[in-house]
Amino acid sequence: MRAIRPSLMIALRALRRNKLQTALTMIGITIGVATVLTMIALGSGAESAIEDQVRAAGMNTIIVTAGNYKTKTEDSGSAVEEQGRIAPRVEFVPAVWRNPQGAGPLMPLFRPVFHPEDDPMEKHDHPTASQRLGDTEAGLGAAATLTSADADAIRKISGVQYVSEGIHNNAHVAWGAKRWFTRLHGDDVSLPLIRRAWVFEHGRFFSKREQSHAAQVVVLGSIVSQRLFGAENPVGKQVSIYKQPFEVVGVVASGSWLVAAAPGDDQFDAIYVPFTTIQRLLNLSKLNDITITTSSSGEVSRISQQITDLLRARHRIGVKDPDDFTVTSQARQALAKGGMLPQVARSVVGNIAGLEKVTLEQLGKTLDRASRTMTALLASVAAVSLLVGGIGIMNIMLLSVTERTREIGIRRAVGAKANDVLRQFLMEAVALSVTGGLAGIAIGLAVSNIIGQWVQWSVSISALAVALSFGIAAMVGIFFGYYPARQASRIAPIDALRYE
Amino acid sequence: MAVISVRNLTKTYHVGEVAVHALRGVSLEIEKGEFVAVVGPSGSGKSTLMHILGCLDSPTSGEYFLDGADVSHLSDDELSEVRNHKIGFVFQGFNLLPRTSALENVELPLLYNAGSLSATERRRRAMEALAAVGLRDRAEHHPNQLSGGQQQRVAIARALMNRPSILLADEPTGNLDSRTSIEVLDIFQSLREERGITIVLITHEPSVAEYGSRIVAFKDGRIVSDTPNLRQRVARGELAEMPIAREDA
Repeated sequence: MRAIRPSLMIALRALRRNKLQTALTMIGITIGVATVLTMIALGSGAESAIEDQVRAAGMNTIIVTAGNYKTKTEDSGSAVEEQGRIAPRVEFVPAVWRNPQGAGPLMPLFRPVFHPEDDPMEKHDHPTASQRLGDTEAGLGAAATLTSADADAIRKISGVQYVSEGIHNNAHVAWGAKRWFTRLHGDDVSLPLIRRAWVFEHGRFFSKREQSHAAQVVVLGSIVSQRLFGAENPVGKQVSIYKQPFEVVGVVASGSWLVAAAPGDDQFDAIYVPFTTIQRLLNLSKLNDITITTSSSGEVSRISQQITDLLRARHRIGVKDPDDFTVTSQARQALAKGGMLPQVARSVVGNIAGLEKVTLEQLGKTLDRASRTMTALLASVAAVSLLVGGIGIMNIMLLSVTERTREIGIRRAVGAKANDVLRQFLMEAVALSVTGGLAGIAIGLAVSNIIGQWVQWSVSISALAVALSFGIAAMVGIFFGYYPARQASRIAPIDALRYE
Repeated sequence: MAVISVRNLTKTYHVGEVAVHALRGVSLEIEKGEFVAVVGPSGSGKSTLMHILGCLDSPTSGEYFLDGADVSHLSDDELSEVRNHKIGFVFQGFNLLPRTSALENVELPLLYNAGSLSATERRRRAMEALAAVGLRDRAEHHPNQLSGGQQQRVAIARALMNRPSILLADEPTGNLDSRTSIEVLDIFQSLREERGITIVLITHEPSVAEYGSRIVAFKDGRIVSDTPNLRQRVARGELAEMPIAREDA
């Protein structure tokens, strides 16, 4: 160990003498290490991206759904009363994770929520949708208790950021001979403000004016647009929904490549019309749900409580009677009590109302696929460039050994041991690869930041990742430098001295 | 006690099928403070002898005692240590590291010295050694910025770094003009007189050999004569008589 420092000095000095050669040799390692670092940064960035998205989706969102499926006729007495007063009503949540078919720990989260009214044997304390609206309307109003007036009242609560009324149904959209069966959302103009990942490929969302006039305008999800119009711009075209003409005003697509639009999803394989239009066409006055975002995520509990109180008052619900609506909000604490990981719990929070379900489902799937592809690609680029870089180092070192045989002889003559020579050349190779590695780390940091900003992906680079990249560079140097160094150390002193 | 004691040394090389007998039984005793000039035509085996004396090569048979210790059967690492501690080399081609300053060249043996010295101490000693050969102000020059005589003086300073028992000089004047040759020989003579360093000088020029205190003549791998030089030439006196040539400094 005694000669490590001198060996390092000698090595660095040797490298400084041939700057161009040194730089060229290092490039391979630099690219390799930069790739490794970028790979790690993007990989761990993917994880925090999920968390960010989940947080963005779920943390400040409150969803009020019509009906209250938890309180059943069997739940009699004080229990009902107790629950009737508890808000937010996180008790509904178990329906999500209770799903017995769940294969993995995460899978139940992405299962469609089991609708309690789907169970014909279940008894309810309220008229079910089919009782109230008739079978045709069953899909629309599960329990029609929410009104636009409720939404307006909620808008007045301080701390409420956006409120969007929602009516949901399925519908055929037709353009010429082409038809597409999709999800129809009757929504409020503020929906794009709640859906943060939206971009408009063409056109715009419907306007406040169109909403108040219950205009027959429609915003197509990118999948629907693609199915009906292909690559064409559908803005200005007339499509027909419920045999009524609707003017296409915009096409909405995912602004984040993490959330890829897919057929069958709830956001982009869907169409959006003003809720007022649906109400007019279907002669409805009720809403399925009201989605609320709060200005600050810390106020979710307070506002949930206020909404509950407000709606109870508005619906004239007696003190002892249960709610006729469900307020769902960030239920992380309640979920965490069930032994779930915080991030899983958060996903569930985003999952509750079904509104964010698709986002998360897509996010999970897309992210998984994308990051696996990306990692595989980067890993192979890294492996190839590290291999090529390593061979480059080996080549330059073998050349160096030959060129400097005389030097080896001189060093041996003044007392260098074979191991000193080995160490010197090994150090040189390592210094070469490590210097290249450091440059690679710098480039990797820069590149990951650029990529991060470009695709809005939070890249996270840990000290461990940097240390690992550095270690890889050093390993490459040792691995590919060992053979030339051993060759150097094996030259007999006298042969080295005589070498011309 | 003899610094160098060699008995029945043989060395045989195999060049393809042919065996070359470079040394055919050499016995030699060199006392401390002697200035031995080994002369002989090229191919006489004198260089082979020097390589063995310098522990750069091992004999095929025979014994070699350096400072009383048998060094003929040492391992590679042990030989390295012997070279580092007990032997200083001066070569015909100077053998300085290119693109490396004179100071760093002189420091080199200290780098491989087991008793690790601090960088400042190494530097100080190297500077001292350079000053002793009159090159203090050339410390940062690279070999290609130095004249032949200066390069050889750097090599001598390097050879003396670890205070060796013997100084082995292989044709040290071969690449030098006559005045510079005499200057180098003057350094050898004064080293011997002032510090009592044992010097073995190998040359094919009888005139160079005349500066030694003892002349050993080689032919065909054997010693043909070994006599004290009664008419030793004194480099310093000759330099004084020589017209002042343009110093290469």
